[in-house]
Amino acid sequence: MSASPVGGAAVDDAAPDAPARRPLAPWIALAVAIVMTGLFVVLVDATPDEGGATTDSPLLGRPAPEAVGTLLDGRRFDLSQRKGSWVVLNFFRADCAPCIQEHPDLVEFVADQDQLGRDGAEFYSVVVNDTRADVEEFFAERGGDWPIVFEHDQIDVAFGVALVPETWIVDPNGIVRVRIISRVTNEDLNVTMQQLREATG
Amino acid sequence: MVAASINAALGRAGLMLMLGGAVFGALAVLYGIRRRDAKLLRQSPRYAWLALAGIVLAVAMMQRALITRDFSLAYVQQVGSADTPVLFNVAAMWSALEGSILLWALVLTGFTGAVAWRFRRRTDDVLVGWALIVMFAVTAFFALLSFGPADPFAAGAPGVTSGPGPNPLLQNHILVLFHPPILYLGYVGFTVPFAFAIAALVTGRLGEGWLMETRRWALFSWAFLTIGILLGGWWSYEVLGWSGVWAWDPVENASLLPWLTGTAYIHSVLVQERRGMLRVWNLTLLVATFALTILGTFLTRSGVINSVHAFGDGPVGAWFLTFFAAIMIVSLGLIAWRGDRLRSPGAIDSPLSREGAFLANNVIFTVFAFVVLLGTIFPLLVEALDDRRTVVGAPYFDRLSMPIGLVLLFLMAVAPVLPWRKASTELLRDRLFWPAWLGAGALFVAVFAGATGWAPLVAFGLAGFAAGAALRQVVLATRRQGWRGLVGRANGGMIVHLGVIMIAVALASSNSFTHSATLPLAEGDVVEWGGHTFELASVTERVNDRGSESVLAANVILDGGRTYSPAITTYLNIGQAVGTPSVRTGLTKDVYLTLEAGAQAGDSEATIRAFVKPMILWLWLGGFVMAVGTLLAAFPGSRRRRATDPVSAPIDTTPDHASADPVEVGR
Amino acid sequence: MRAWNQRLKRWPGWAALLVVVVVVLAVGATRSTGPQTQEDRIDAIARRVACPVCDGESVYESRNNASVAIRNEITDLVRENRSSDDQIVGFIENRYGAEVLLVPRASGFDALVWVLPAVAFVAGVAGLAVAFQRWKLQAAATGAPTDADRALVDAARRADGAEP
Repeated sequence: MSASPVGGAAVDDAAPDAPARRPLAPWIALAVAIVMTGLFVVLVDATPDEGGATTDSPLLGRPAPEAVGTLLDGRRFDLSQRKGSWVVLNFFRADCAPCIQEHPDLVEFVADQDQLGRDGAEFYSVVVNDTRADVEEFFAERGGDWPIVFEHDQIDVAFGVALVPETWIVDPNGIVRVRIISRVTNEDLNVTMQQLREATG
Repeated sequence: MVAASINAALGRAGLMLMLGGAVFGALAVLYGIRRRDAKLLRQSPRYAWLALAGIVLAVAMMQRALITRDFSLAYVQQVGSADTPVLFNVAAMWSALEGSILLWALVLTGFTGAVAWRFRRRTDDVLVGWALIVMFAVTAFFALLSFGPADPFAAGAPGVTSGPGPNPLLQNHILVLFHPPILYLGYVGFTVPFAFAIAALVTGRLGEGWLMETRRWALFSWAFLTIGILLGGWWSYEVLGWSGVWAWDPVENASLLPWLTGTAYIHSVLVQERRGMLRVWNLTLLVATFALTILGTFLTRSGVINSVHAFGDGPVGAWFLTFFAAIMIVSLGLIAWRGDRLRSPGAIDSPLSREGAFLANNVIFTVFAFVVLLGTIFPLLVEALDDRRTVVGAPYFDRLSMPIGLVLLFLMAVAPVLPWRKASTELLRDRLFWPAWLGAGALFVAVFAGATGWAPLVAFGLAGFAAGAALRQVVLATRRQGWRGLVGRANGGMIVHLGVIMIAVALASSNSFTHSATLPLAEGDVVEWGGHTFELASVTERVNDRGSESVLAANVILDGGRTYSPAITTYLNIGQAVGTPSVRTGLTKDVYLTLEAGAQAGDSEATIRAFVKPMILWLWLGGFVMAVGTLLAAFPGSRRRRATDPVSAPIDTTPDHASADPVEVGR
Repeated sequence: MRAWNQRLKRWPGWAALLVVVVVVLAVGATRSTGPQTQEDRIDAIARRVACPVCDGESVYESRNNASVAIRNEITDLVRENRSSDDQIVGFIENRYGAEVLLVPRASGFDALVWVLPAVAFVAGVAGLAVAFQRWKLQAAATGAPTDADRALVDAARRADGAEP
C-alpha cells in the first residue's frame, strides 16, 4: 500500500482527481455493456421451444425407418409395402390415460378416412410394451377394428417415440410428414390430413 | 365469477396490498430523501409491513385454496388434486410457475421487512433509504408479475372438480417441502446486499460501512443457497433413479451461477474489510450475483432453454429479460459514473499474500461462472448465429470443472496459511509443511484403498493438503482462544472449507469410481457382483390407499441382510411411471438399486440395476459441516480491534447526513 | 524438539515429501484400473449421448423409450466389442444427427465453447498480472513501502493523523 493516502483517505478520495489516474470504470462498464447487449440480442431472439417434448423429429421429411411386425391377427406388417397410400401410425399402450381418452376420436377418424375410399389414410395402431390380453380387451371394450401391429422389431424405437400416445403420418412416398405427441382429436387429424394432401397436390 | 371464491378475492387483495406497499414505499422514501424529510423517512418501515401483510395474506389464501381444493382457481386445477397428501398439497404451491413466483414474493417481502426492521432506527440514513428503495422496487416487480403473466389467482375453467396434482416427481419425497423454500431463501437473499451495493453507488458512500451491514446478510443467503443446492442434489439422488446428484441441467446451473459469484464475493469482501480495497470489484460481484439470479430465472422460466425441471413459458420470460436489462443498465451506469471515484488508493504488494490468494480465488470463481453460463446458453448462441440445434451436456461441464476444482483445492490449501500483505518462502515452507504431509498421507491412503487415475488422485492429495491447512488454522486458533477459536470469519470459514473438502472428495470418488451392473435375478438364486450378494425374495405390486399410485417393487435381499425394494411407481391419474430407487447408505459406499421395466407382480424373476457408489454420504455430511461452519463464521469473532481499520471514511457527498457513522453501527 | 521440527521443515522434509508424492502418484496413476465392466463402458458412452426427444437429459439419465432404445443399441455394440467408444458415439451420431452429442465438437463454431473458457482464464490471469504491475508502479512512484515504511505508517495511523 502506498503511503500517501493512508489515514488521509477521506481527503484524498474526495479530491476531484487523484494524480496519475486515468478513468477506467467507464471503459470497463462500456465493454461489459457491449457484451451484455450482444447477449441480450441473442436472448430476445431466442424463440421459446414449444413446451417440453416438441413435435419435432429428425425423421420429418426423411424416409420412414424400417418398420416390420406382425399384426394381432397374425398377418405381416411392413411399412415399406404400404407405399402409395397415406399411413397413420398410432403408438399406444392399453393402460395409458391419454390413449384411452383419444380412442373415440381415433374410431371417428378411421371411419372418416374409410369414406374417402382410395384417398383415405390407412390407420395402424402400434402396441408399445403391452400384453396381447390387455390390447384385445382394450379394443373389445372401446371399439375399433383396424389393424393392430402387435409384435414388432421396436418400431417405436425406430421412430424415437418418447411417451405414448404418439401419432405419426407417413406420405405415399414413404416420407415421414407429421409427428403428434400426446392426445389427438379427430378434427386435428382430419385437418392435418387435408392440409397434407393439398400440400402434396 | 362471483363464485370465483373468497380465496381469489382475498388473495388478489393481498397482492394489491403488497404492490401498493412496495410502490408507495419506494416513492415515499425517494421523496423523503429528496426533501430531507426525516419524518417521512421514519415511516418507511410501515410500507414494508404493509407489503408483508399483503403477501402473507395472498400466500395464506393460496394455501387455503389448495387445502380446501378450490378448483375454481386455474392454478389449483393445474397443480391441485383431490388426493394429494396434505403435506405435499402445501408444497404444491411451488410446483408450478405462478405459485413459485408467489413464494419468491413472500421471501423477498420478508427480506424487505427484515431490512426495514434491522435498520428501523437509521431510516434517516440515505444509504438505508436507497437500499429500501431498491428492495421496494424489486418487490414491486414481483407483485406486478403476479398481476401480469403469473397470476396465481386467475379463474379456471368452470366445472372442473379435480386436477392431476403436482408432477408425480414432486410428491413422493419429503425434500420437496424443504428444497425450494431454502433455495429461495438463498436466491432471494442476495437482493439485500445488492440493494446496499446500489445504495452505496447512488450515495457515493463507499466506505466499508455498508459492507459490515450486509456481510451477514450475504453469508446467510450464501449458506441457504448452498444448502438448497445440496438438498436438490439429494432429492435427485433419492428420487430420480439415475443414481446421480448433479446433471448440469440448466435449472441446476441457474442456481449454481449466483452461488459461484456469491462465493467469490464472500472471499474478496474480506480484502475490502481488511485493506479497504477492491470496492468496485465487490460491488460488481454483488450486482452480478443478483443479476444472475434474474437471468437464471429468465432462462429456466421462459422456455428458451429446454430442461426437464423447467416450467412455464411465454410472457413471463419477457418480463424477466426486461428486468434483467434494467438491472444491467442501472448498475453499469452507476458503476461507470461512480467507479473511478470509488477506486481505492491502496495497492496489493505481492501476489504471494492473503489478498493475492483471494484475487486468484476470484479469478477462478469468475471463470467458473463464465464456463457454466457459456455452456448453458451456448445452444442459444449456436441457434442464433449458426442456425443449428445443439446440446451442451454434463460431460462438457465435467471436463471443464475438473481442472477448475483442482485449482480451487490448491488455493484452499495455500491461502489459509498466507499472511496479509506479503509472504516469504521461509514462512510458507514452515506453515505448509504438515498440511502438505497430510496431503501426501491422503494420497497414500487413497492409493492404498485402490484409487487409480491421475485426476482423482490429485484431487485426494490436494483435498488432504487443504484439509491440513484448514485444520492447522482451527487448531492454532482454539489453542490460543479456546472455543472462541471456532467462531468468527476466519475460523468458521475454515470449518466451511472442511465441509467443502468433504464434498470435493465425495464428488471425486463417486464420479470416478462408481460401478454399475444389470443383474437378472431369480427367486432362490444368489447373485454375486461387486462384492455384494443379491437375492430376489419376491416381486410385489401394491396400490396405495387412495388408489392414485401403484408401486411395483422387487424385494431384494442385499448381502443376506436387510431387504431393499427398488420399485417402479405408476401414477394412475396421468399414466406416468417413475423409477423409485432403493439405497443402502454407508460410510464408505452406497449400494443403489433400481428396478428395470419388464417384471410383473408375482414373477419369480426380475432385472435390477445395481450401482456401487463410493463416499456419497460425505456429500451430505459435508453440506452439514458447511452449514455449521457458516453459522460459526456469522458469529462475531474475536473482539479485538483489527490493526487496520477500514482505510476510508465515507465520501462526503451529502454533508447534511453526517448521521450515524456507518462503520460503528451494529458492531 | 522445536529445533528438530524446524530443521525437518527445511529441504530434507520437503524433498522426502516430493519423493513420497511422486512415487505414490506414479504407482496409483499408472497401475491397471482393473477390468472395466461392460456396464461401466455402456454407462460412460450413454453419458455422452443426449436423449433425442427429451430436454437435454442424457441417455444415461433418461427413462423414455427412445433412450432405452439407444442404450440397447450401445449395449449391443459394446457386447460385440469391435468398436471403440468414439466409434460407437459416431455411429449413434450418424443415426440421430449431431444434436445428440452432449460433448460439443472441437471444430467449427462449436470450438468456441472450448476456446472461450481458456480465453477467459488467460484474460483473468493477465488482468491480475496487469493489476499487480500497476500496483507495483504505483508503489514505486509513491516510494516503495519497505517494512520500515509500514511501521511508520502503522504508527501514523495509530496516531490517527492525516499524514500525506
